[in-house]
Amino acid sequence: MAACTVYSTQSLRTNISIPTSSSKTHVGFNQKQVVFYTKSNNKRLNNTSRYLITCKASDSQTIVIGLAADSGCGKSTFMRRLTSVFGGNPDSNTLISDTTTVICLDDYHSLDRTGRKEKGVTALDPRANDFDLMYEQVKAIKDGISVQKPIYNHVTGLLDPPELIKPPKILVIEGLHPMYDSRVRDLLDFSIYLDISNEVKFAWKIQRDMAERGHSLESIKASIEARKPDFEAYIDPQKQYADAVIEVLPTQLIPDDNEGKILRVRLIQKEGVKYFSPVYLFDEGSTISWIPCGRKLTCSYPGIKFFYGPESYKGNEVSVVEMDGQFDRLDELIYVESHLSNLSSKFYGEVTQQMLKHADFPGSNNGTGLFQTIVGLKIRDLFEQIVASRAETPVGATKA
Amino acid sequence: MFGSGRMMIVRPIRAAPEQESNKVEESIKSAPEMCADDPVSGECVAVWDEVEELSAATSHVRDRKKESDPLENYCKDNLETDKYKTYDN
Repeated sequence: MAACTVYSTQSLRTNISIPTSSSKTHVGFNQKQVVFYTKSNNKRLNNTSRYLITCKASDSQTIVIGLAADSGCGKSTFMRRLTSVFGGNPDSNTLISDTTTVICLDDYHSLDRTGRKEKGVTALDPRANDFDLMYEQVKAIKDGISVQKPIYNHVTGLLDPPELIKPPKILVIEGLHPMYDSRVRDLLDFSIYLDISNEVKFAWKIQRDMAERGHSLESIKASIEARKPDFEAYIDPQKQYADAVIEVLPTQLIPDDNEGKILRVRLIQKEGVKYFSPVYLFDEGSTISWIPCGRKLTCSYPGIKFFYGPESYKGNEVSVVEMDGQFDRLDELIYVESHLSNLSSKFYGEVTQQMLKHADFPGSNNGTGLFQTIVGLKIRDLFEQIVASRAETPVGATKA
Repeated sequence: MFGSGRMMIVRPIRAAPEQESNKVEESIKSAPEMCADDPVSGECVAVWDEVEELSAATSHVRDRKKESDPLENYCKDNLETDKYKTYDN
């Protein structure tokens, strides 16, 4: 919808809203002014009235979320949880719902698979990505202008002809470099970094790839090792810019565990971020070590352990909530939820409900699912606050 | 006699489609020769990056196929039918 101001020759000023159906949105709609002429049948008005209408795409309330993850793009679990929190259909095959559009940043590869092999460059390397285009297009979408976005085909490894992306309410850019370029970084309203430790990464990749013909333990290891230098040089440093980091580590509850099934997950929340109030346990700003299992709650081995406290992370003041262990039963989940504060949930048990709704998603019984869901609620809260704050400004202008 | 000590190799029930699997396999096979001269060269690293990309893509295809398994979908919607009742002894 466009918000338009109508000026008549009598200098009457009224605000009207002209609904435009989304199918009529034009590519590169740059017209800012439309002039209408009406002929009045009323004989009291002698001349034709001229009206000047200036329109601004008021749906340029697109908020942009950046998600840095090395899991390859597409509908990752995190995205599906996020879509679900916003009320979309997480099982739909398209990445576009009514509210949210997800852009996989691989689409901004400047070199396709063959090109990268010729130049001896990985996808992690900035030289394989067009940050100028990324910035231009994300900025355009944020300003309410549709763009023709390139498509990187993961199956063929080629760059396909572009597709039209219309500005949604929420734009999520997901990939390896959402926070690498400073201009793109400044466009982000919120950013998340998914940090999987090397041991967990190895265990997950074994699970993923061992069924694959051609792979062996050695090849999986070699692939991780070969990518490490570029990863540490270009991807890892983005952690310092993220508003929230979800760090996934091996458990400390089982000595020498190398199965990677029980996880220790830390939600590292930056302090002082606008519209973002970190989640805490019991007493904000204090340090808490909490084992919920005991008289009120029975847990099976190895149990659950929580930690909360302020820390310094990459030069930033942060608050960390940490969960080590696994949920086995519904009542464990709800018990934990009832003791967490500042969740930005809309009703008691919303986190539990979301976790149960997607019990088949990976991580639904541990900190990864818990913190991804919580971050989803935080993003919803951020979105609503931004929308509310922007809605106040036009009212202010008409009063002036 | 049970426990004769024979080893059974269980084949994975769901392997990715042939085409994608071939790509991963070929890519892995090409790695040693690209890395022979210099294991930290751009060429070597790029091949392993390609292996990673292809492995990720293949696993996504596998997951999508799993999601569209008609039996799985039937089961999801019909948990109350006789077929799916479980009895705890």
